[in-house]
Amino acid sequence: MNEATIAKIKERLASLRKLPGIGEKSVAQVLEEHGFTRRDFLKWSAAMAVMLGLPTKFSPLIAEAAEVSDRLPVVWLHLAECTGCSESLIRNDSPTIDNIIFNFINLQYHDTIMAAAGWQAEENYEEALEKFAGRFVLCVEGGVPTKDGGEFLTIGPNAETGLEKLKRTAAKAAAVISVGTCSSFGGIQAAAPNPTGVKGVYQVINKPVINVPGCPPSAKNIVGTILYVILFGALPAVDNFNRPKFAYGLRIHDLCERRGHFDAGEFVEQFGDNGAENGFCLYKVGCKGPYTFNNCSRERFNQHTSWPVQAGHGCIGCSEPDFWDSMAPYEEPLANHKFASASVDATADKVGATILTVAGVAIVAHAALSAIKNPKE
Amino acid sequence: MKITKKIVNKIEGEASLKIYGDKKVDFVEIEFWQYRGIENYLINRPIMDALVINPRICGICGHSHLFATVKAIENAVNAKISKKAKILRDITVGLEIVENHIKWFYITLFPTQIKDKKYIFKANKFATLISKAIALIAGQYPHNSYMIPGGVTCDPTNLEIIKLKDLLQKIYEKYQEEIIDLNMNSNDLRVFFENLPRDIGKSVNRFLVLGNNLFFKKNGDVSLVKEEKNTSLSKNVLYNNLFVEVGPLARNIENQNIKKIYDKYKDSIYTRIIARIYEGLLILKYLIKKVKEIDICEPSYIKPEIYDGTGISAIEAPRGSLVHEIKIKNEKIANYNIIVPTQFNLSSSQDKNNLSAAQTAMIGEKKEYLDTIFKCFDICAVCVSH
Repeated sequence: MNEATIAKIKERLASLRKLPGIGEKSVAQVLEEHGFTRRDFLKWSAAMAVMLGLPTKFSPLIAEAAEVSDRLPVVWLHLAECTGCSESLIRNDSPTIDNIIFNFINLQYHDTIMAAAGWQAEENYEEALEKFAGRFVLCVEGGVPTKDGGEFLTIGPNAETGLEKLKRTAAKAAAVISVGTCSSFGGIQAAAPNPTGVKGVYQVINKPVINVPGCPPSAKNIVGTILYVILFGALPAVDNFNRPKFAYGLRIHDLCERRGHFDAGEFVEQFGDNGAENGFCLYKVGCKGPYTFNNCSRERFNQHTSWPVQAGHGCIGCSEPDFWDSMAPYEEPLANHKFASASVDATADKVGATILTVAGVAIVAHAALSAIKNPKE
Repeated sequence: MKITKKIVNKIEGEASLKIYGDKKVDFVEIEFWQYRGIENYLINRPIMDALVINPRICGICGHSHLFATVKAIENAVNAKISKKAKILRDITVGLEIVENHIKWFYITLFPTQIKDKKYIFKANKFATLISKAIALIAGQYPHNSYMIPGGVTCDPTNLEIIKLKDLLQKIYEKYQEEIIDLNMNSNDLRVFFENLPRDIGKSVNRFLVLGNNLFFKKNGDVSLVKEEKNTSLSKNVLYNNLFVEVGPLARNIENQNIKKIYDKYKDSIYTRIIARIYEGLLILKYLIKKVKEIDICEPSYIKPEIYDGTGISAIEAPRGSLVHEIKIKNEKIANYNIIVPTQFNLSSSQDKNNLSAAQTAMIGEKKEYLDTIFKCFDICAVCVSH
């Protein structure tokens, strides 16, 4: 990143600052009211810069972007989903600065957490589309039912289908972010036999879409992507599945706390055995970490408390396309699986590819062993 | 007669109400217009896949669906579990109920009367803290698969149990301080009812509890539950051919404090709301007691023998009784059926002599109270559209 980029960002932030905010108070004031000092805020910005894969000299810019985040309205659309992504989001990181920032973002419409309800909510929605046309960020949660004209999901007073509402909204959005695996790739609704013909957002609209998959994705990945858009006014660098590289550049397996046991050939052979008590690798009881690109092992969930592998259950591969069908069964190893993500992604960082080759050999070796020795016995 | 159609949102999805009547509600039909088809995806998959798929029925009550799935499989294969695993499951499902109640009260119900973002912040603060406690055992919240037939996959250390005890105590104290105390004093509840009558929304006065997890005692038999089609994409659910109410009021009606309120206001909106937020406190108190009984030396998992069979389970989830039924053939799922609490409470009946709990509560009331009365049942459109 050179000085020209920084100058460009500064210019962008300055122009955003000129736009009207939503309230009388600034982000700094709101944070102060919640007991956060300027120092806390800068620490948060530095951590965010690291997460976004930016040099630390960007952290003051991130702080500034957060401060003007209320100038860019966000519209959050719920389609066929379970609300898990919103649930993940509202339990944001400690010390909940993300939470405040997210609430401070000019959230024009969010079915679950907005203060408005009923006609007022509908009005907010239409107003956002009119007033902020070409300027707002659209976040979509949930897949898009398309079968029979999309009638398996109708929203709002005019019984508009999810598909129509999405198209209408996306046409006016400045950027479209698919939050979660459902909106990114269809998710659970799209699992075979996919009775409602669900598709990912990118498959039904003609606009670049940034995918933030995961079931649910961590709050950090969601807020990070939104902040990136505010900061640069552009979408972050992505892999072949349009996932931001800062979050999906490495495999779960690469930074897993149980990786040492994998390399040493120490496995949980079945749940509840000595290996499980000793925290050995979960590959043989079905962990899909070697095939999954995400930062869970580094960022964890719920204020960095834990993540599925730490609780003794393997990764299910939830940030990969079609994982409901291609990664199952979930409690069995998947030895000869093709690395969908890496093999087609020439840019998925050559370092990762090298690691893959080595790990790939190791996986095949372990799989051969487990074929001789049934892991269930 | 005037017929109006009203869309109710902010219920983790949407429902539409077809309302008959002018100022007062003469009749109402409740419709849900989403469908996802989870029961279909499960067929022919390995049984263990249900553990990963079913929490995704609902991102709000993932642990309850996981728990019901695990218990259905365990009932089918006759599995045994250790006391430690049982307590750990109770903690995650119990905490899920608590945080659901808080979010429902402040995020869903409050805005129907009071529009103030500070209550949303308050709910988020509690949700964050509670999720952290759940994640200590389960690894992540929402959506986790740490419960398996025969026990749990986690093996918490002493340090984690100490952290958990500390968190539970902290949440319990904050709950008393900021939401409701043991004597049922609640400032927020008073604020909520400032301009709202307490005796509206009286319902069918028939209460059903099918699960016996936590401290709840069941009062019904799951074989008497029947599903039938209605005019929308959801299904009606009857118990012994009658519509009933499930949820916190049904579960806690024997509690002395709640009984006092019930004697005064019957099954009105006030009793229903206070039963729900008070239950959160009762659960926390119970969990603080149970966590002390954990013996970390016990096994987390006892391997069950898998063979074909049919298993049905009923548990108490945040919104009420949740039923899962599985049929296993050649270690694969031959059939799966799910009945969720919202279906019990929000069935849409055409028979004026036998109406569902939510219909009964709304009929005869002023239209201006409709949103609040409807939402006092804690609706989950996501679950209904499974």
